[in-house]
Amino acid sequence: MSSASEGPRRRNPASSASRATQSPDVELFDDRHSTSYIPPGAWQVAAESNKTSMAVVGALTAAAFLLRFYKINLPDQVVFDEVHFGKFAAFYIKGEYYFDVHPPLAKLLLGAAGWFAGFDGNFDFENIGDSYTDHHVPYVGMRALPATLNSLTIPIVYAIMKESGYPTVIAAFSAILVLLDNAHIAQSRLILLDAQLVFFMSLTIYAYIRFRKLRYLEFTTEWWGWLTATGVFLACTLGCKMVGLFTFLTIGAAVIVDLWDILDIKKGHSMEHFWRHFMARAISLIVIPFIVYLSFFWIHFAVLSRSGTGDTFMSPAFQETLRGNEMLLNSQELRYYDIVTIKHKDTKVFLHSHIERYPLKYDDGRISSQGQQVTGYAHNDTNNHWQIIPTKALPATGRGRIVRHEDVIQLLHVSTKSHLLTHDVASPLMATNQEFTTWPKDDDTRHNDTLFQLHLNDAPEGQAWKTKSGHFRLIHVPTRVSLWTHPKTLPDWAFKQQEINGNKNAQERSATWFVDQLIAAEEEEDFLNRTSKVAVAEPKKLNFFKKFGELQLLMLQHNAGLTASHPYASNPINWPFLISGISFWTQSTDQKQIYFIGNIVGWWTCAVALSIFVGIIGADLLARRRGVEPIPDPVRNRLWNNAGLFVIGWAFHYFPFFLMNRQLFLHHYLPAHVCSALAAGAVLNFVLSETINYPISIRGHLTRAKPKMHSDLGPKALAFVIAFALAMTLMLVYISPLTYGTPGLDGEAVNHRRLLSTWTLHFAAKKTDQTV
Amino acid sequence: MSGSFRARRPASPPLGLAHAHPPPPQQNHSQRFPQRREDHLDADERREMASLGFGPRGRARTIAPGGLSLTIGEWRLLLVVVVIAAGVRMFRLSRPNSVVFDEVHFGKFASKYIKTRYYVDVHPPLAKLLITLAAFVSGYDGNFDFKDIGKVYENVPYVAMRMVPATLGVAVIPLTYLTLRALECRATTALLGSLFITFENGLITQSRHILLDSPLIFFTALTTFLWVGFTNEDRHKPFTEQWWLWLTLTGLSLGAVVSCKWVGLFTIATVGFATLHQLWTLLGDLRVTPRLFMKHFMARALCLIVVPILFYMAMFEIHFLILENSGDGDGFMSSEFQHTLGGRGMQDTFADVAIGSTVTIRHVNTQGGYLHSHAHNFPTGSKQQQITLYPHRDANNNWLIINATSDNGDPSYDPEIGPLEYIRPFAQIKLQHLATDKRLHSHDFRPPVSDVDFQNEVSAYGAPGFAGDANDNWIVEIEGGDRRDRESWKRLRTLRTHFRLRHTLQGCYLFSHKIKLPEWGFEQQEVTCNKNAVKANSLWYIETNTHPKLDDNAQKVNYRLPGFLSKFLELQAVMWRTNAGLTDRHIFDSRPTSWPRLRRGINFWVKDHRQIYLVGNPVVWWLSTLAVLAYAGVRGLLILRAQRGFRDFNNSKVVKYDALCGFLFMGWALHYFPFYLMSRQLFLHHYFPALYFAILLSCACFDLLTSSFRPRVRFYIAAVLLVVAIWTFAHFSPLAYGSPWTKAQCEKAKWLKTWDFSW
Repeated sequence: MSSASEGPRRRNPASSASRATQSPDVELFDDRHSTSYIPPGAWQVAAESNKTSMAVVGALTAAAFLLRFYKINLPDQVVFDEVHFGKFAAFYIKGEYYFDVHPPLAKLLLGAAGWFAGFDGNFDFENIGDSYTDHHVPYVGMRALPATLNSLTIPIVYAIMKESGYPTVIAAFSAILVLLDNAHIAQSRLILLDAQLVFFMSLTIYAYIRFRKLRYLEFTTEWWGWLTATGVFLACTLGCKMVGLFTFLTIGAAVIVDLWDILDIKKGHSMEHFWRHFMARAISLIVIPFIVYLSFFWIHFAVLSRSGTGDTFMSPAFQETLRGNEMLLNSQELRYYDIVTIKHKDTKVFLHSHIERYPLKYDDGRISSQGQQVTGYAHNDTNNHWQIIPTKALPATGRGRIVRHEDVIQLLHVSTKSHLLTHDVASPLMATNQEFTTWPKDDDTRHNDTLFQLHLNDAPEGQAWKTKSGHFRLIHVPTRVSLWTHPKTLPDWAFKQQEINGNKNAQERSATWFVDQLIAAEEEEDFLNRTSKVAVAEPKKLNFFKKFGELQLLMLQHNAGLTASHPYASNPINWPFLISGISFWTQSTDQKQIYFIGNIVGWWTCAVALSIFVGIIGADLLARRRGVEPIPDPVRNRLWNNAGLFVIGWAFHYFPFFLMNRQLFLHHYLPAHVCSALAAGAVLNFVLSETINYPISIRGHLTRAKPKMHSDLGPKALAFVIAFALAMTLMLVYISPLTYGTPGLDGEAVNHRRLLSTWTLHFAAKKTDQTV
Repeated sequence: MSGSFRARRPASPPLGLAHAHPPPPQQNHSQRFPQRREDHLDADERREMASLGFGPRGRARTIAPGGLSLTIGEWRLLLVVVVIAAGVRMFRLSRPNSVVFDEVHFGKFASKYIKTRYYVDVHPPLAKLLITLAAFVSGYDGNFDFKDIGKVYENVPYVAMRMVPATLGVAVIPLTYLTLRALECRATTALLGSLFITFENGLITQSRHILLDSPLIFFTALTTFLWVGFTNEDRHKPFTEQWWLWLTLTGLSLGAVVSCKWVGLFTIATVGFATLHQLWTLLGDLRVTPRLFMKHFMARALCLIVVPILFYMAMFEIHFLILENSGDGDGFMSSEFQHTLGGRGMQDTFADVAIGSTVTIRHVNTQGGYLHSHAHNFPTGSKQQQITLYPHRDANNNWLIINATSDNGDPSYDPEIGPLEYIRPFAQIKLQHLATDKRLHSHDFRPPVSDVDFQNEVSAYGAPGFAGDANDNWIVEIEGGDRRDRESWKRLRTLRTHFRLRHTLQGCYLFSHKIKLPEWGFEQQEVTCNKNAVKANSLWYIETNTHPKLDDNAQKVNYRLPGFLSKFLELQAVMWRTNAGLTDRHIFDSRPTSWPRLRRGINFWVKDHRQIYLVGNPVVWWLSTLAVLAYAGVRGLLILRAQRGFRDFNNSKVVKYDALCGFLFMGWALHYFPFYLMSRQLFLHHYFPALYFAILLSCACFDLLTSSFRPRVRFYIAAVLLVVAIWTFAHFSPLAYGSPWTKAQCEKAKWLKTWDFSW
């Protein structure tokens, strides 16, 4: 679906039969329509002139800025996800490490805007509704960034349509669909990421179309320039949100179609030529974006050099690169006979044991060993103390007494003088896992079952075991199960403490533990020595790629883990029809609210346009199958290749959401909405006229002259678009109190603005009439 | 993509043999399609025609049914293969004599059919009906409970029941043979294919127990065979009697697949795509008039859409006819549905509800039952008397409707004296619990389980002589009535009117949801008063109603029993929901990525050091996966080559095998990839229908690779492959039959570390 590829059409047998008299030579351009050339009328010349175009785009842009900056200081409170993104901007300014599922570019920009506006980072955006003015936060400067970028999206949309060869009126139509849209306005007036995302996405499409238009001037500087620009903008899109991957898919699909055409033997290119094209795209659209994307993370890490809220998400090695991290403060090597507390990484409970025993028989009839209970306990207690017992001969002093990776150890429960043990008895809650218990220290009969191998995560051989940083798994030597716990609690007989059992899955990630604290060493003096000389260590260096890899993986995992339900989350099927929106913010004193919802006129127009497109394509396919060619070739190519690109863009930015299990919101549809607005323009052009401006690609020195065609859209189209803009404006103004959050509405007014019964607005008046 | 092979042919009659069929209209096409001379066929094409059974001209019918022309010798060979297969599939079918794996479920369902007790299962009924039939004929009384895996059978004709899947499993083998023959593969290939299937340990294991997959695979194979036969007929001459017969049979068989398991929808998709391909080809043939095209289209729509749907519905009709009595599946169904079951009926009750009526009130959306109270208090919140939903009839469900406005504190009003006062919309009422003399009450306390701000506790409150307070008042909001009872929209009518109860002071709605109270509430369903109530969960209706002033002449009503269609649709919805809810992990479940590699099997049964473990024949399995990958790779290469001007597709051999393999590949892909979209628990045996196509594909590849060899050489190669396959079968057969094994042999058989038998 590349834009406007006017190569030889692949003819089906029927059409080639009807054209049997024509020479079978491959012609680059079809000349069948040369006779139908109509010069443009005076009206069209005037409408398409540069001056008009500049005036139109100027007016649209000005309107965009006006609509997006109107009362941008209201509300002066934290709204919706500003809770997150405002906070992240503050972290950038303070340089404190945080963790988030989104890539850093958009947040870096917000941070920069905040810094520029003089924000000192000392506001924590804790709750929706917290006041900015009270805390002297220059929030307007931060909000101005998304607003500006979203305003600039309007001329880009206009330019995309213009570059694709649509008349001014049509380009303005597409731009208006975005310009007068409540959803875009609401989203871009706040400290959120979507405006940046949409901005870079439309820039990507623009750059790619410019690149495609230069295809007869391949490998010129300009060609390289636009190709590289596409790649860079792709990286920026992806740098804002992972949704940018869908933009990659869109451009990727277009590139594959493009390359496929170059590969076609009928074009007469050599394989060498094809590989040059292939490599050019691989470098510009894969390698360069990757480097740019990495650079965002490089900046991210460079800025966030200090310990912060995100530390605990990261591995110990990573944490040690952050200044002021706990790991740097007190991470000590462990020696044999040290007494320690051991904590589970995920659920933060201590490995615990107490004198009580497992009941002989559980409720479901299974039998236990009746051994001493081993549980997970969340609080500090002397029953959490374990001593590390060696299973090999130790030197009297020195480094030989340090516990190392893959050592076989025993754990002695200090208060009951018994060794940790597991055996082939089903655990209380999970019949598939092994029970953990303890065995008296001086009874050697079960010695083998008390042996555990210490396995430090990602450690080289001989690595020393450290408190805090040494994340480890404890593997039972005879049965190979690992010490594991899960958030289910045991019944009353174990005081509702957490179950601990042996997990047979050797790869289980959640079987990770760490030593929380060193309680005592064998000799008091030694202990004091080791714990007293804790100097704050310098942050360590870690390879950038390792840091990037770790963070990227975590982001993906957490993204997939966002499955908790949210009252305003919605199913993607509702999005194009605006079935429900999101309540961003409410203020009950003045009955003000921001309800995120689109402009119904615009969104439904887009939905209709997309279905018309599918209808046209289907009809065209069927007709051609029956040997009828109802659409002139230039128009057909434009419809397939250019409008096709927009529709593919829409589809790729929309349908993958159906496969996601995480919570989804209406604002995830915004990039797809821009694509659908582009497609709506293309479809409108097709519906209004059988002509387009053609050719639009820049002629190369080998390109043959092509028969020209001009769009014959006249004043009627202009009238239509103006009428449509008027309708959009009315709708925009009507629901603007919900978009701008001002003025407040009384109950009746809220009821009136509830255009669909599924919108959940606040402060609605109680129904007083009795109808169902 | 379809089973058609010759590319340049138009879709209708075979070229040069069109005498039986009038030549298409000639007028405008004579230039474009100059009539080819009759003897234009070159040697290759003529041989191909002959192989299809197109004999010399002059005979009335020149094609064997379905394009199958088998010699007597082949039929005999086929008989031998079937005997071998029967031996392999039914060897010691009676062992183990205890319940294996999902026999727990499907055996139980057979018992329920025999006892005609209603149950709900996620699978459609056909396969279970077949198993039941076998059990019934052998005199099973339905008194065994199939409780646990390993429970020893007593008085159960389990061998007869197992015979159903086993027989169908055997029947797959001749179908494989015939399908491959109808796909124009050579006899050796067909033999290879049928023996591959015979010695596939996974299919053997699965077909030896009371499970649904064997019937499913049988019907999938049958559909494939019938469809291929239909394609052959279609290519020969459409709209003959034979053509209609094959098409209709395909439709019936499709209905049967989907009536075994919903996975059968993938088979429907396979046939559907093949049909679309056929139609698309027809559409491109300009000699086919739109009228003729519509005829083709309608015929297929009728036989491949309408017929399967009717068949599917017929199965459910039988299902409902047999399960006429109430059973443990009642709770899944609506009250109307439940009243069609024996033992669930209800006496007619008065239609008009008025002040002074004694009523029972049911919740519409959940099957929690009646609004209920009993003499036990909440341990939390207000510590007043509990209000719950209780599913059974009981005197504690009876409520008296009292007027909250006129007789508030006015004890002189007596409904037995005054005129009948109907409950109109927005009437304010109190509901008095007759057994304990307390009133339905709500106040600003949080409910015991749903402890959230927008929900209020609902309790029963009051004392003898105490008239109650305003927190007992509820406003009746009528939500809708019955279409045939216009009065029910205007006032409360028993069974017909759905209404909500709004608390006058708190503004919340009486609400219930599928949340159970803890033990102190006898695990009955929680009732709250919800300020943001989902409408569906705050709807109630009155089930029974008596009033002192209504005598026997007053109008009475009862549940309207739903017709077959609404019962059918309701059950489909329930099955869908239950199916989607099967998301728990199972210790032996697996994800689709592991299936083609045969990474892990399923433990079916372990006892006394013997084990039944579902695992395939690795040789056959991996060969089939290899064939799938090879086809995908080669096809990709061919497309690239075509783009670079190579004319591979002018080679008739490439075209034939591409169409053949393409069809089988599509079958495999459509039976495999959709599983990636399912988040429910999946098992290795879900791969079996796809495996069937993959094995056929590997045979087609064999046919292609050996096509230039002499028959004898081809036969030797096939023999070697078979010997290897049979050896592996024998190697793993103890796992399929559950026969004794030494530990050493067992350890040796663990070819992959991930095969977790022997524990």
